[in-house]
Amino acid sequence: MSDYSKKRFLVIDDQAQARDALRTIAQQVGAFSVEFASNYQDAIFRIRNNTPDIILCDYMLGESRSGQQLLEELRRFNLLPDETIFMMVTGEQSYEQVVSAVELIPDDYIIKPFSPEKLMLRLDRILAKKRFFDRYYKEKRKQEYTKALATLEAACSTEEGRSYRFEILRQRAEVFLANGDVKSAESAYRGILESYDFPWARAGVARSLHRQNRLQEAREEIERVVARTPHFFDAGDLKATICMAQGEHAEAQQVLDEMAKKTPRNYLRKRLLAEAATLNGDTETALAAMTDVLANDTMPGAISAEDRLATARGHVNASDKITAERVLLGLRDAEVQKMTLAEQASFAALLALCSPEKGKTRFAGLRPAMLSSDFGATTNVDILRAALSVGDNELADLEAEHLMAGPDAKKVFSTLRAQFSLHGREKDLREIQRQVALKRIHHEELITEKPAGDTPSA
Amino acid sequence: MHKLLDMLASGVHDAKNQLFIAESIIAAAEAAHGIPLGEARYAIESAANRLTRTLTAYHLMRHDAAAAVTPSIVGDVCDEVMLAQKKHLAELGITLTVDCQVLDEWPLDRDLVTDMLNNAVQNAGRFAHQAVHLSATTDDDWLCLRVDDDGPGFATLPPASGTGLVVAERLARLHARHARQGSLNLSNGGSLGGARFELRLP
Repeated sequence: MSDYSKKRFLVIDDQAQARDALRTIAQQVGAFSVEFASNYQDAIFRIRNNTPDIILCDYMLGESRSGQQLLEELRRFNLLPDETIFMMVTGEQSYEQVVSAVELIPDDYIIKPFSPEKLMLRLDRILAKKRFFDRYYKEKRKQEYTKALATLEAACSTEEGRSYRFEILRQRAEVFLANGDVKSAESAYRGILESYDFPWARAGVARSLHRQNRLQEAREEIERVVARTPHFFDAGDLKATICMAQGEHAEAQQVLDEMAKKTPRNYLRKRLLAEAATLNGDTETALAAMTDVLANDTMPGAISAEDRLATARGHVNASDKITAERVLLGLRDAEVQKMTLAEQASFAALLALCSPEKGKTRFAGLRPAMLSSDFGATTNVDILRAALSVGDNELADLEAEHLMAGPDAKKVFSTLRAQFSLHGREKDLREIQRQVALKRIHHEELITEKPAGDTPSA
Repeated sequence: MHKLLDMLASGVHDAKNQLFIAESIIAAAEAAHGIPLGEARYAIESAANRLTRTLTAYHLMRHDAAAAVTPSIVGDVCDEVMLAQKKHLAELGITLTVDCQVLDEWPLDRDLVTDMLNNAVQNAGRFAHQAVHLSATTDDDWLCLRVDDDGPGFATLPPASGTGLVVAERLARLHARHARQGSLNLSNGGSLGGARFELRLP
């Protein structure tokens, strides 16, 4: 048994009586210092300012917030050190279903009512597990993936490792994914599925396939997960992302719309919804989602330059260039300078779109960089649109060719077609498409090896 | 859509929160005054388990029960049953022993299986003379969880099936892995000479 008298506890519950009960139980375990948080914001504030050793968090936090959401937010902003214990407390069985499906789980959960002895047993086990994985966690945090994999490998063959055999396999797959070794990740997750059909492992297969651009297979796997565990919302997000990559934007938006209604305060999902709605041509939904994000995603640092750009993009799509310009010019110079080159390119392109007079010079200044770099689909589309509007056909055609030859071809194809036809250049786009197809055939003849993944269809 | 279910679930949820408040107050009183109130806490936890089981049974009837399978440490499950039942059985003059031979993490619904074992130990305690034994072994890639007692054994086999038994059988079957399904076997002449409850999980 561990000594809990020196550990700092944080009890998070919106009900005062329940907080008292949790504190009482924690005190029986030996806790001396027990702090309270009565709501979501308060909890984040306390954890950020003085990270507790042990968090006992009720699953239902009121105001349509859940403990699971808090956990996700803490991980998103890297506010939970590996040493901190996060224990979910719940009065109902339904959280079990969540834990058994999702990828992001707390250290453990415990169902009310429970005795101090039971809490202590659970906490002791978590500490033992954290000790067992201690070295691995450190290596993973430092992104020393080769070392981390070796540590897991060694852990696997110990007797204690048998008690964590699935956890070791799961961590191994996650390291492969984090390290970009998507094929190994795929086979690691498939290995787990051979043992048991865990929803999180199947989602891992889908994630690995998606990263290999094997979209149809990824879609089939994730559909199975979503059908079996509809409360596994991250799987829904992944499904929507895959749908977008396949060019099925209406389906993507529908999936996200439904989930966003159930998780109104998940702002990462709102951003994804905005992206899907934009691709789907539903500018109203896209703008509403981004407005919600800007107003309510209140964690410091939560609103990124990309969010401002997405909002401006939304206004451009809604043909409200004045508001778009205001959003862009609302960014301070220092903020613009801190942007990545891709974001600066998007900024210049969007500004050139809504105010050629103010944006043209900046856009022209970045032209060499635009010609020589691949900034990713979103920025490339921004550049293409601006290039078309300022009559820089060479740049526009180059971006179009780039996009159609790349992995996001299906995702952006309808947007490209709309943009080219806006400028009366449908024929030119078809020609670019033909050239890309010819090049691909030629390329495939040169390397007889079959390329992995789906190829964009015309 | 599931109005009745929502009402039942929220009722059970509230009741369990109230029971937790009661348990915490009792635990504090025990510590403050040095009086053993373990039986009161045992009664509270049994009541909560009973509520949970009722809700589970309702889910089973509606055919929407699903096992929440997570990788679980079998030894931990046994320890929790021990913790929940040992003192209470000791009050009745019965000794509970545990022998877990399974080192590997196993995919199972931890809360469901713990509850089934708690229930089995409770039942065994009602008929045992002085001993109940919980064991965990593996047999040809099956996990075998057994509860043996030294009582008179089941009067008839299979026993006259009560609701509890039907529920337990169906809960066992919810554990499916590839083409294999969990099962429940009741027999006489176990390791302690009395009844044996055996849960086999794939």
